[in-house]
Amino acid sequence: MNSNGAIRIGFYICHCGTNIAGVIDVDAVAAYAASLPGVVLSRDYKYMCSDPGQDLIAQDIREQGLNRIVVASCSPLLHERTFRGAVERGGLNPFLVHMVNIREHGSWVHEDGGLATTKAMDLVRAAVRRVVHHIPLERSRVPVHPDVLVVGGGIAGIHAALTLAAAGKKVTLVEREPSIGGHMAQFDKTFPTLDCAACILTPKMTAVKAHPNITLWTYSEVTAVKGSVGNFTVTVKRKPRYIREDLCVGCLECIDACIYKDGKFADEFNLGLSKRKPIYVPFPQAVPAVPVVDPEHCVHLKTGKCKDLCVQICAERNAFDFDQQPEFIDITVGAVILATGFTTFDAKRIPYYGYGVYPNVYTALEAERLVNASGPTGGEIVLPDGRAPASVAIVHCVGSRDADYNRWCSRVCCMYSLKLAHLIQEHTKAEIYNFYIDMRSAGKSMEEFYNRVSEEGVHLIRGRVADIYPETANGKDGHIGRVIVQAEDTLIGRIRKIPVDMVILSVGLQPQDDAEDVRRMFNISCSAGGFFLERHPKLAPVNTFTDGIYLAGACQGPKDIPDAVAQAGAAAAEALALIDAGFVELEPNTAYVMEEECSGCKSCIPLCPYSAISFAEDVLKATINAVLCKGCGTCVASCPSASIRQHLFEDAQIFSEIEGLLTHA
Amino acid sequence: MDPHAQASADWRPRIVAFFCNWCTYTAADLAGVSRLKYAPNTRVIRVMCSGRIDPQFVLDAFTRGADGVLIGGCHPGDCHYSEGNMKLLRRVHLLRRLLGDMGIDEQRLRLEWISAAEGEKVKTVVNDMVATLQKLGPLAFPERAAAWDLEMDEFERALAPAAALEEVTHG
Amino acid sequence: MLATEEAVEQMWGVTLDRLYDSEEGRRILSCIQCGTCAGTCPHGEHMQYPPRRIITMLKAGLIEEVFASDSLVMCVNCYACQSKCPRNIRLTEILLPLVKEQTIVRLPQMPPELQKAVENSYRYGNSQGESARKRALWTKTATVPIRILADDPRPVDALWFVESDLAFHPRGQDVARATARVFDALGADFAILGNEERTAGDCGRLSWEPGLSEALIDYTMSILKKYEFRRIVVSDPHAFDAFKYRYPMFGFDETVESTVSYVHRDLEKIRPRLKKRLEYTVTYHDSCCLGRHNKLFEEPRELLLAIPGIRLVEMVHTRENGLCCGGGGGGMWLDTYYKARGIERLSDRRVREALDTGADVLAIACPYEISRFEDAVKVAGAEGRLRVRDIMELLVESFGDA
Repeated sequence: MNSNGAIRIGFYICHCGTNIAGVIDVDAVAAYAASLPGVVLSRDYKYMCSDPGQDLIAQDIREQGLNRIVVASCSPLLHERTFRGAVERGGLNPFLVHMVNIREHGSWVHEDGGLATTKAMDLVRAAVRRVVHHIPLERSRVPVHPDVLVVGGGIAGIHAALTLAAAGKKVTLVEREPSIGGHMAQFDKTFPTLDCAACILTPKMTAVKAHPNITLWTYSEVTAVKGSVGNFTVTVKRKPRYIREDLCVGCLECIDACIYKDGKFADEFNLGLSKRKPIYVPFPQAVPAVPVVDPEHCVHLKTGKCKDLCVQICAERNAFDFDQQPEFIDITVGAVILATGFTTFDAKRIPYYGYGVYPNVYTALEAERLVNASGPTGGEIVLPDGRAPASVAIVHCVGSRDADYNRWCSRVCCMYSLKLAHLIQEHTKAEIYNFYIDMRSAGKSMEEFYNRVSEEGVHLIRGRVADIYPETANGKDGHIGRVIVQAEDTLIGRIRKIPVDMVILSVGLQPQDDAEDVRRMFNISCSAGGFFLERHPKLAPVNTFTDGIYLAGACQGPKDIPDAVAQAGAAAAEALALIDAGFVELEPNTAYVMEEECSGCKSCIPLCPYSAISFAEDVLKATINAVLCKGCGTCVASCPSASIRQHLFEDAQIFSEIEGLLTHA
Repeated sequence: MDPHAQASADWRPRIVAFFCNWCTYTAADLAGVSRLKYAPNTRVIRVMCSGRIDPQFVLDAFTRGADGVLIGGCHPGDCHYSEGNMKLLRRVHLLRRLLGDMGIDEQRLRLEWISAAEGEKVKTVVNDMVATLQKLGPLAFPERAAAWDLEMDEFERALAPAAALEEVTHG
Repeated sequence: MLATEEAVEQMWGVTLDRLYDSEEGRRILSCIQCGTCAGTCPHGEHMQYPPRRIITMLKAGLIEEVFASDSLVMCVNCYACQSKCPRNIRLTEILLPLVKEQTIVRLPQMPPELQKAVENSYRYGNSQGESARKRALWTKTATVPIRILADDPRPVDALWFVESDLAFHPRGQDVARATARVFDALGADFAILGNEERTAGDCGRLSWEPGLSEALIDYTMSILKKYEFRRIVVSDPHAFDAFKYRYPMFGFDETVESTVSYVHRDLEKIRPRLKKRLEYTVTYHDSCCLGRHNKLFEEPRELLLAIPGIRLVEMVHTRENGLCCGGGGGGMWLDTYYKARGIERLSDRRVREALDTGADVLAIACPYEISRFEDAVKVAGAEGRLRVRDIMELLVESFGDA
């Protein structure tokens, strides 16, 4: 409408309830704005982002002939889109609005109202000067590739993949272990309902394998990512398992045939509590049910001299291929869901808990394997000397809530500790002592579960364990001596020294060891603790700051299975929304060349990380492909002849902002 | 204290800050959401990438009266656009030299890598920079420039008769 | 956790009223009442008010009740609670000294041995009550020349702060002579203050009232000002701790090293001298001040392992989780007080742990430990089975030419 001609600026300041108005004198700022050149209307309103607030802008544009809008409220990262929409509804080009952040950068961070108000005025003055230089712009659209990549095949990745596949999308699920299932596959029962993990997980795992829309690549890792929202090119490394998945039928006879008659090498899935052969499936319900050959230990692969009994028994299918090499495959997808999960805290880092020193000190994950019927002891809780423990201490908060290790509460440990208490008591009738700091049983049915386990007679001692040491030396007959667990029972104010046969350390959850590499590869951010950072903790909990990349499960922060699944569904829905729109609108903040001023020096060309700048040999000028340009502006700042400019970040706009900030009216 | 500084009791350093959209601006938002409190001396100009920051922006800010300029970008290796921050870093090295020649203390230009998760760092960096500038005192570059201009005018005036004479001779 | 310079700045001059003025003090408010402090405290079970309860009482405005109890007399300044606190609250550095001070002031009667130690320190500059003029007497029996700065005030590289236990206790003197030999073997340029030296102040406010610590610090700083030196090398870990964290609050800014790290740094210089094999099984007791508070865990062990023949075994409580000998924080002079309350001496407990390892030498690096452990060995009836040796003594023994 009226974007040219005389500048008529409308100024709006938001109270945000008392969030802004409680610190900043909004009336004074509004009055001040009204005095600035070009401002023809200045208003304050309780909540600018509300419908009436937005309508106010649209209506004023229509009725007062406004052609530039400045909104002083919260961060543009939160509501720029909102106000652009309001401006557009008023009939003005959406890029003729500029926001002033007086909440996150103002009222929330300053205590002195007078100084915060002065700051707001400075920022408003800068914005008013800047917005004069805004011009109408058009958004361009790029098509979105309809396929999705899900990274990580734990419960979150599985659920996201199945949801997308059910919606008819083609999904590639990449998992680095030989089987999908993740940590959940290692658990025995799940809190608070105590349903068996395998019973609820296995059907979902097989559904992944069976779904025609899902390509499952296990024993594979993403090694490179290029492109951007709607169009990512992802390189996946498929590690050789030396058995062809397309030929293997999962009879597992090769494992029986192996020249190693018994397991000899630490079994990763059982955390080293049992031994496996050089050819193995991680666990009976593994998906795919295709064995993997461990090149570190396979005699054929190490020496080339083996009787190859495995190959012989597979003669009919002939699935063995010892010549397999790592394969790198590029796939193109429109969206990515990261569900890379967590790792558990390394209990060895707390020396006074004696993990790795005393053989009867276990981690909770090891305990999960011990109570699991398909685990190394067939579900028997036994000490390394074969005896069942008569007393067990479960130590909460190992590595969590601790400034020396991980500051956060790992959220699941209280409940899984109670679960283990219940299961071990059920299996062994042992006396169980849970040492906790605070019992965290938030969430549906959790408090009831806490109540149930309390009533089962588990000793709940409120106090963080301060020391674990042997009661007596281990016997010569291999008998493992008890250890004393020492803590202050804070509720009675006494030091308790409880001798137990077995200790279970409830280790916390922390980011995967290579989370940092993954983060860099996908160009997303991490929170302070190293978990992947969501775009907004409340309003965009599965989005990242990189469009088209979504988060599911514990890679974003510790969470239990119900929450991981819920988040996976949300991530799938976000991906679907992106894909089903078919295109993304790009922010028109691209760079462009003022051809007449370009000297053709080519210095901009190598600066562009997206190869968006090329050299037009015919006219000897640089030229920018607006679709490839991501709008960083590096070339703009570097052009020696100032002939590259950037929409929305024009030199004139930024200089007038600087001028506005520093000029006292 | 800066020899040119004439700090009055209620003087407060003015800092123009250029923050990149993805890391430092977001970190400043996080500081807000976390209700961290810091000195109200910064005025942030948002750019998409610290690589967009033209040395002229910095010079312009000083010549218009800023006492300090704070640049915030993503950590090396974390740039949303691959390595715009590294391009900026090279410029900042050159810029520092230039500022030195202009008699501007190098502490007045500060470059910090602040990731989106480091709200706390925004607070400490701003507070620290304000403390530093308090010690340095006002830069008062516009006044200084005006004094230089005056000096140049006088110099020219002093030369004027001679020049006029020369003109006459050659004319 | 390790003390930092910022923390040090905030530690001194803090009073209970102004506790929350500093960031380090405010951290007390973040206490989650987990009880790790009480659980790990070697005297935790004998304290009515362990650190956790002190914090609740403080928050509830009932701290006077804590002063009125003798809980804090049990604190041996071992840093165990602080080192394990999941909120990094500086218990041993900030809170406990303030409470202990008030507790001792309110005691109906000061424990006589502690009273005597305080008086002696005031009068003689050493807790033993020895004549200050006899402080340098041990040097007469040393086998290497030892420069005394009062006699020869030329600048020196290492000013060796010997401290009272090494200067006066007969077994301490053995260690002092051994240390001098090791320094000599290093080719070190070192000198001592001799009779001008007074005790550095032990664990400061955790041992006695602050007036004494301050008087001793003032004195030592004034003596140190007289001489030129590059570093102070300190044999007693409590004095080392005092120089490192308490003296700076009074403007002291010299380089301070412990004997252990000073020797360790130039270990290669003496390694060729370590010729005699010592076929000992050795267990090393971590001094709280050296270990937990200053993280010197590896250096003493590496010195021991440099000696040919030595086999190192660890006790159940070791390194960060080491068990205090009970001598710190004034504990050195409270054995009778503790005994009257039925509290077992920590040195007895520690020696049992050492015996459990099967070691025949209990190696130490703190002069308090010699007398404490040798006595405990006797109590355990293990004389002849377990010998207590300072690391310096073992090094000299391995020189093989004594």
